Amino acid sequence: MEFSELIRTGQAQAELLRGPEMPPLRGTLCVTGHHLLLSPGPQATPDLWLLLLRSVDSIEKRVAGDAGTITLRCKDLRVLQLDIEGVEATLDIARSIEALSSLESVITSFPFFYRPKGLRLGESWHFHPPERYYKRVARETRAWRLSEANEDFSLCPSYPRAVIVPRTVDDDALARSARFRQGGRFPVLSYYHAPSGTVLLRSSQPLTGPQKRRCAEDEELLQAVLAGARPGARGFIVDTRSAQAAKQARMTGGGTEAKSAYPGWKRLHRPLERGRPLQESFVHLVEACGDLEQSMDRWLSRLDGCHWLSHVKAALSTACLAAQGMEWEGACILVHGAEGTDSTLLVTSLAQLILDPLSRTMAGFQELIEREWIQHEAPIFLLFLDCVWQLGRQFPLSLEFGEGMLLALFDHSYASPFGTFLCNSEKERCLCEVRTRTHSLWSGLNQPKEQRKLRNPLYAPNPLAIWPSVEPQSLRLWQGLFLRWTHPPEPSEVAWEKVWQIATDQEKTEGSQPTDSASEPQP
Amino acid sequence: MSLLRGLLGMELIGISVRLFLDFQEKPASLDSALILDVPLGVISRIEKMGGATSRGENSYGLDITCKDMRNLRFALKQEGHSRRDMFEILTRYAFPLAHSLPIFAFLNEEKFDVDGWMVYNPVEEYRRQGLPNHHWRITFINKCYELCDTYPALLVVPYRASDDDLRRVATFRSRNRIPVLSWIHPENKTVIVRCSQPLVGMSGKRNKDDEKYLDVIRETNRQINKLTIYDARPNVNAVANKATGGGYESDDAYHNAELFFLDIHNIHVMRESLKKVKDIVYPNVEESHWLSSLESTHWLEHIKLVLTGAIQVADRVSSGKSSVVVHCSDGWDRTAQLTSLAMLMLDSYYRSIEGFEILVQKEWISFGHKFASRIGHGDKNHADADRSPIFLQFIDCVWQMSKQFPTAFEFNERFLIVILDHLYSCRFGTFLYNCESAREKQKVTERTVSLWSLINSNKDKFKNPFYTKEINRVLYPVASMRHLELWVNYYIRWNPRIKQQQPNPVEQRYMELLALRDEYIKRLEELQLANSPKLSDPSTSPSSPSQMVPHVQTHF
Repeated sequence: MEFSELIRTGQAQAELLRGPEMPPLRGTLCVTGHHLLLSPGPQATPDLWLLLLRSVDSIEKRVAGDAGTITLRCKDLRVLQLDIEGVEATLDIARSIEALSSLESVITSFPFFYRPKGLRLGESWHFHPPERYYKRVARETRAWRLSEANEDFSLCPSYPRAVIVPRTVDDDALARSARFRQGGRFPVLSYYHAPSGTVLLRSSQPLTGPQKRRCAEDEELLQAVLAGARPGARGFIVDTRSAQAAKQARMTGGGTEAKSAYPGWKRLHRPLERGRPLQESFVHLVEACGDLEQSMDRWLSRLDGCHWLSHVKAALSTACLAAQGMEWEGACILVHGAEGTDSTLLVTSLAQLILDPLSRTMAGFQELIEREWIQHEAPIFLLFLDCVWQLGRQFPLSLEFGEGMLLALFDHSYASPFGTFLCNSEKERCLCEVRTRTHSLWSGLNQPKEQRKLRNPLYAPNPLAIWPSVEPQSLRLWQGLFLRWTHPPEPSEVAWEKVWQIATDQEKTEGSQPTDSASEPQP
Repeated sequence: MSLLRGLLGMELIGISVRLFLDFQEKPASLDSALILDVPLGVISRIEKMGGATSRGENSYGLDITCKDMRNLRFALKQEGHSRRDMFEILTRYAFPLAHSLPIFAFLNEEKFDVDGWMVYNPVEEYRRQGLPNHHWRITFINKCYELCDTYPALLVVPYRASDDDLRRVATFRSRNRIPVLSWIHPENKTVIVRCSQPLVGMSGKRNKDDEKYLDVIRETNRQINKLTIYDARPNVNAVANKATGGGYESDDAYHNAELFFLDIHNIHVMRESLKKVKDIVYPNVEESHWLSSLESTHWLEHIKLVLTGAIQVADRVSSGKSSVVVHCSDGWDRTAQLTSLAMLMLDSYYRSIEGFEILVQKEWISFGHKFASRIGHGDKNHADADRSPIFLQFIDCVWQMSKQFPTAFEFNERFLIVILDHLYSCRFGTFLYNCESAREKQKVTERTVSLWSLINSNKDKFKNPFYTKEINRVLYPVASMRHLELWVNYYIRWNPRIKQQQPNPVEQRYMELLALRDEYIKRLEELQLANSPKLSDPSTSPSSPSQMVPHVQTHF
């Protein structure tokens, strides 16, 4: 396929409106294979405006007289309006954008063409290989080993090639357990909590079905987890569905762990929304935030009605529950819902941020995302970022990265010149040769010039667990994201810049380079 | 709400009651007896609950309602009649007015390094504003409070209005609160003038002197031939006030003025709104539908209206180049909110610690905001209809502004909370009495300590590390519900489930960074002195500290 087949017109004269606070841009509009370009001419600033077509979520067109208007709703919540001269030009451009922004193919996407100066291909993909973390855990504990049973993705296409499992469980048992779990996602280690010697595991639901089937190897695996922690250790299975929903899942072949089959493990149900209801909640919130005409008297109840903050609260409380189980009760925790790919990851990654000071560093956070998150498009990833933002608001010194980092992750998760968030599984990523043919987001973000926007100048390493308050009055709407395009965020940026000035002035006088752990080449 | 069990003891220490609880079963989180210092002034109401025959746990004891959003309940044992004594002592000292006892501030013998009473000197403040000038004069006509007993002694009025004119205008303004200058724009010389409502009444009375007087005010500004009048009230309330002799400036009588209503509700509405806020945050926070419950209190909506009104005043003066008259009914509640907030937006001086103290001292204290009636210092009549959280609402608006402009204010959140704590505590004389004349009669400045003495001798504690001094920057906060927040650290601070992050870790960390930086700069300078003895002109040396550290001079 050639992009040129999809591009209906060369160029047109247009005016771009970018929201209430930004001046309009006039110039020549042009569609390329991956971008919408507007060049206002050499004197203007900026001299070129670019929009990645993949970031267009929906497009509306209107024509009147001999001109047209295209409204673009972007995945980063921006709304852009283009006033274009010429009816034909408008329609052609709209058709081109529609066709190009909805291309499904991964290997024709922009990351495969993006070759920025100063970055070498293949560089920095080695920054955060999950194997490194697993090797460390295997070294530190006697109870865990690295397995290559999934080398060819035959056990589980969505797991990486290397996984970490109890030492006493062999690869055959893993294969059987994988067959007993939806999508092959058998219980694997997500995080090792050194202070208590306990572990956080994740998986998908067991395929018990209506007959309440059992799998000896799966039971053995979880038994081995407890035995490996310490004699008499207990375990909690945090099921992110309601007891009712878990039971109902049996009708479609799924289910949950029977009490009698897994002695030592206790099941807790903490229902978290995912999928459609979460998507709807997100859409309502975005609508409410973008609705500037609406009378603001009902703003709070409308915000309430979106339920987004209740999802934030539920996610954080469940993560706290998992973290408390480890830190306070010395218990092992297994988290799963149905597929084990959405709310499960939300809980395991938040629990780590609460417990693990390393995951709160720039490098550690990037590693956490590489390790835990395999799909980024659903609003569940945004929910994760929102929860992290709430943690950062409540513990302003404890995260090495700032709001800018979270916003960058949000933007890049939807549309990005980098390959990090492409594909939905490790297997796909290998097939598409993402690692050799695209640049990693981390190599982009870890460039020194980006760091000032992304890092928290006030960061002071905090060795303790950070327990967030989940009371409703402690949780806020993430204005920096949801109201980013409707209100100039200037004041907080001014403050941010000032803190940076102080922090870097200090470093200058110290005569040292900014500590830039994330971009340091790893041995 | 957590229950704590133990022996209750009580001790009056100066102006506080110290309540301590000796535990029978000690909660794990507390390692000694619980000591609770409650300023007696904060107590609004003390009630006995249950009687000698009451049965059931915690059914007998004392209930203490406080003015600062908390209630304390002490369940006591019936034996020994300890409750009667406790009740009597508490009532006596919490409500000294009812027992012909002095207010605590008069007994307070604290000493501070600075005298807070020296902070506000009206002549100096008006001089700072460039007054008097050839349009405005300072008058001492009210020196013995004969023109208006709730106004300060010193007033700024149009040069062209004689003292006789002022006396005649006073007859047409509620409580004789004539239009006087609050603030003048340093460049365009437009002014903010405050007053009470005109006494129009049902018959639509007019007063030539008042009309002429407002016209004289208008004429001090030649840029625009209209005077803008902001009536803080909702239109209907202003009309209703005619029935009791009040009203507003009609178009017929005041040709050269435009009148706008700002829809801010009266003290009773605000009191009820805050009561609802208390209901949803204490003792338990309304968990389900938190935001909807918050909305139903209308508190943030009132905040929004007050801020919106002040923004209009500020914008009219600054961009509209029109002089502005602000009034409500008596001109001591909503008017004070509007003028002081507008002045805070317009004049960066009031955003410093001292400037803010002066603003409060001037627009609120000297111009007769009825602190004694609104707060009920030492008074046992907790249900008095004159009580209302108008000043708290003002401080809340200031907090909202400081959230939106994190670098614009020299003071931090703690400063605002301390002001509110001592609004009730009666430890200082600052907020006592309703007006300047009453304060003078009681010799408050001689016999009590000023709150500003406490604050100004510990200034560092109240400083905002992000403060960047900017002259002439006008702040327009966004008064949209989306950008207003409930002030959780104030309204919900007593909730045991809210984690207090005290002192503010960001401020502390920032102070650390600043201190570190200063230390490094010093060390660098020392090194440079040691290394280059022949260092000639520092401005040409690339390694001079002034270039290495470009912003050293600008902070603090």
